[in-house]
Amino acid sequence: MPEIFINGQAIEARDDQTVMEVAREHGHFIPYFCWHPQLSVVGNCRMCLVEVEGRGLDIACNMPVAKGMQVFTNSEEVQAHRKAILQFITLNHPVDCGICDKAGECVLQDYHYEYSGQRSLSHDEKVRSTKFYNLSNRILLDNERCILCLRCTRFTHEVSKSMALGVERRGDVSNIRPVEDRPLSEDPYSDNIIDICPVGALLSRQFLHKSRVWFLQPTPSVCPGCARGCTVQIWHRKPEWKLKALDQRQNENIARVTPLDNPAVNGPWICNKGRDLAQMFERVRADEPMLKGRPVTVPAALDEARRLIGAARHPVALVSNWGSNEELETFKDKLGEVFHCFVKQDWQRQPGERIEDDLLIRGDKNPNTTRARELFGHAEPDFKDGTDLVLVWGEGFDFARLPPRAGIIFLNSYLQPENGHADVFLPVSIQTERHGHYTNFEGTISAFEPCFEKKPGVLHAEDLIKALAAPARGHP
Amino acid sequence: MPGRQLIMTFPVTATSHALPEYRARGGYGALAKALGQMKPQDVVKEITASGLQGRGGAAFAVGRKWQVVQYDDGQPHYLIANADEGEPGTFKDRWILENNPHMLLESMLIASYALNVRNCFVYIRGEFDLPYRRLAEAVEEAYAAGLFGRNILGSDFSCDIVVYRGAGAYVAGEASGLISSLEGKKGYPRNRPPRLTVKGLYQRPTVVNNVESLSNIAWIINHGADAFKAVGTPKSPGTRLFSVSGHINRPGVYEVELGYPWMKFLDEDCGGIPHGRGIKCVVPGGVSSKVLTGADIANLKISHEELWDAGSTLGSGGMIVIAEGTCMVALLQVLMRFYHHESCGQCTPCRHGTGWLHRILDRIVAGDGRADDIERLYYISKFNDGTTICGLGDAAGYACSGILDKFRDEFEYCIEHKRSKFGGNLECLRSS
Repeated sequence: MPEIFINGQAIEARDDQTVMEVAREHGHFIPYFCWHPQLSVVGNCRMCLVEVEGRGLDIACNMPVAKGMQVFTNSEEVQAHRKAILQFITLNHPVDCGICDKAGECVLQDYHYEYSGQRSLSHDEKVRSTKFYNLSNRILLDNERCILCLRCTRFTHEVSKSMALGVERRGDVSNIRPVEDRPLSEDPYSDNIIDICPVGALLSRQFLHKSRVWFLQPTPSVCPGCARGCTVQIWHRKPEWKLKALDQRQNENIARVTPLDNPAVNGPWICNKGRDLAQMFERVRADEPMLKGRPVTVPAALDEARRLIGAARHPVALVSNWGSNEELETFKDKLGEVFHCFVKQDWQRQPGERIEDDLLIRGDKNPNTTRARELFGHAEPDFKDGTDLVLVWGEGFDFARLPPRAGIIFLNSYLQPENGHADVFLPVSIQTERHGHYTNFEGTISAFEPCFEKKPGVLHAEDLIKALAAPARGHP
Repeated sequence: MPGRQLIMTFPVTATSHALPEYRARGGYGALAKALGQMKPQDVVKEITASGLQGRGGAAFAVGRKWQVVQYDDGQPHYLIANADEGEPGTFKDRWILENNPHMLLESMLIASYALNVRNCFVYIRGEFDLPYRRLAEAVEEAYAAGLFGRNILGSDFSCDIVVYRGAGAYVAGEASGLISSLEGKKGYPRNRPPRLTVKGLYQRPTVVNNVESLSNIAWIINHGADAFKAVGTPKSPGTRLFSVSGHINRPGVYEVELGYPWMKFLDEDCGGIPHGRGIKCVVPGGVSSKVLTGADIANLKISHEELWDAGSTLGSGGMIVIAEGTCMVALLQVLMRFYHHESCGQCTPCRHGTGWLHRILDRIVAGDGRADDIERLYYISKFNDGTTICGLGDAAGYACSGILDKFRDEFEYCIEHKRSKFGGNLECLRSS
């Protein structure tokens, strides 16, 4: 346990630590571009230069701790060098923040205000390079903005292991380029490089010029794409910036999804499926209860559902593994005695989707199978003779497999043909409209928060279950 | 020839590079001596005692580098001869590779024996054609004579050699960049720590030595460390090969005993400056070392310590003589174009700084200089010094600030009058 001094503060460090890690742990911020806690050290941005007594300047990210070393993270010499490094970085950087998607969350912007604030000292033309280089069907690359920190190449080499990116040419005309025969579009984690890019060089095609980030707010959520249950942030328009004209749908749409750093589950990464939650959640919604395809009011539909439940002798429930822990527990508590319950797999693997790997992606493409199975067992849905009512909660079950003469109560969120075939159809809210928790395949519980208001005709499944369990009106 | 000779000891003929003639000169005697009479540790001790300094540029003691490698730590060790001689003005290793390749191979075998190396490498500059062919021929001859491979000269010692041709990057001559390139990656230099003697090629302890440093080893083993120390000065033992070029009557490769008077060397051995011109300045050891004016070197001796005192270094031994009447602005522009072209693009200050230096000088030469340009050149040089992974950024800064310090008036003249004081001349003219 070597004792080192950072800005005069004595700190007990571990032998295997670098000065950067120790400083971060103890609240001494050292600026950096290329360093990343999950990636190897390349030490090429030179922004983390610190002064060590008797040794001069060196980079903190590659400096092993040594007993008694005196590190100064903010001496005059260090400040002068940081300022110079920012001069060098912005020498050929276009500084086109006005039209850059990264503006507002750009590390270079922040550091410029924090450590430099100086105009460019150059009188010469900037080095021009490629704009909007087509890196994959999801990502564009702006080589002029790129500061060659090599986070993206290291990510593809060390984390996603697609080895899809490399550096072409050298010096100030170096360019990040895809490697031949290793298309980045086949890397299911590729979008992480957009997040870890410290500047606006890597651009998401789906988010390109869609919104300024300061109009958005993140809501913590859980990706339902597989049993990993990665924690994510769903970005949507801030209430005070709600659009009152033009494209008002933006107010209720997911702008983008980014990972929420969580060492217990996903670290700082998520896969591309998690980025595309909008495609999953923004399908056409069902917003009216129906009886055999005929729109009715919510109380009328609930009455009919309660009547069916009350009349049934052998009711079966297919419970959704997209239900939150709270909803599943409520169902078990309120209706577990009434129905014979099975867990239903709502979502299957899509064609072309990666089945499973050792980074994040799991074979089970549903978020809460773990808790559902704990409560309702592992049996596959099975309809014994005499089943006269089936409650189907959630999508993904082929109605042709249901017993022919049984009544159907169907709880679903989206507009689908089956909705009209059910005796009672009840629309329920989706994940972005409610609170809840999911239990992932390792038993880790993560919470999700609501981003948007639900529609009036739509019910939260938890309330709906409670209402179904209540005694029917007129039968006290 | 200036002083005693250790390497250039024979007249070069059409066959002097081949194995039979090398053997006739006593070649591979040192290898037999090392394998037969010395333990590996004794070889390291002998080299350490000789005080041999690296000949590639940094003049780091070879023995100290070797001592870091633990002989029997159970890991494979590697030895690499750095023949990626790319420093402008330097072509001394080329002489060894062309005319005495077996001396290098014998020395590498001795070094491999001393350092417990099973596989050694020669990383040779891609542009070298004849040196490569001569070296490849020598390797074949040595294998055929049983000097490489298993159980060399009947001993337990086995060693193989690989000759690897570079692809033309100056920065791959830096030891860690060389290793990256040898591993098949882009020739990016690596951060220290870890040092290469701890984690080098394939993450194993690796010694990278210059061709000339290695070539001295056979002689040291043959004649002993004391005999080596008797040559040269106490602080800089031995001789150095200098490749003399520029405005000089007899350019070429010379072996100079360290401590030899500089002006005597230039005037007598190299035949002086053409057309009887005076010396404006001398680049002592490759363009990455700071220039010295004619007055600076008037009483200097060629040795590491005197050069360090004078604020420069013997560097890689690429001596460029620049006669009076040469335009230093145009010269610096050429140098900066080189560094700009060769920067690997890894570290921010060097990637952008070398290009910035180049563009400013282009502008000054084109007659569009600005009043703050000189200050800016100093600024870029200053913040490139010691802030990059390898020394390329530092070297560009040294070359720039070195010339600016000594010839600032020429730059000021060029900026003020929008033309060069010497007409942008880089030749050694008969009359001015």
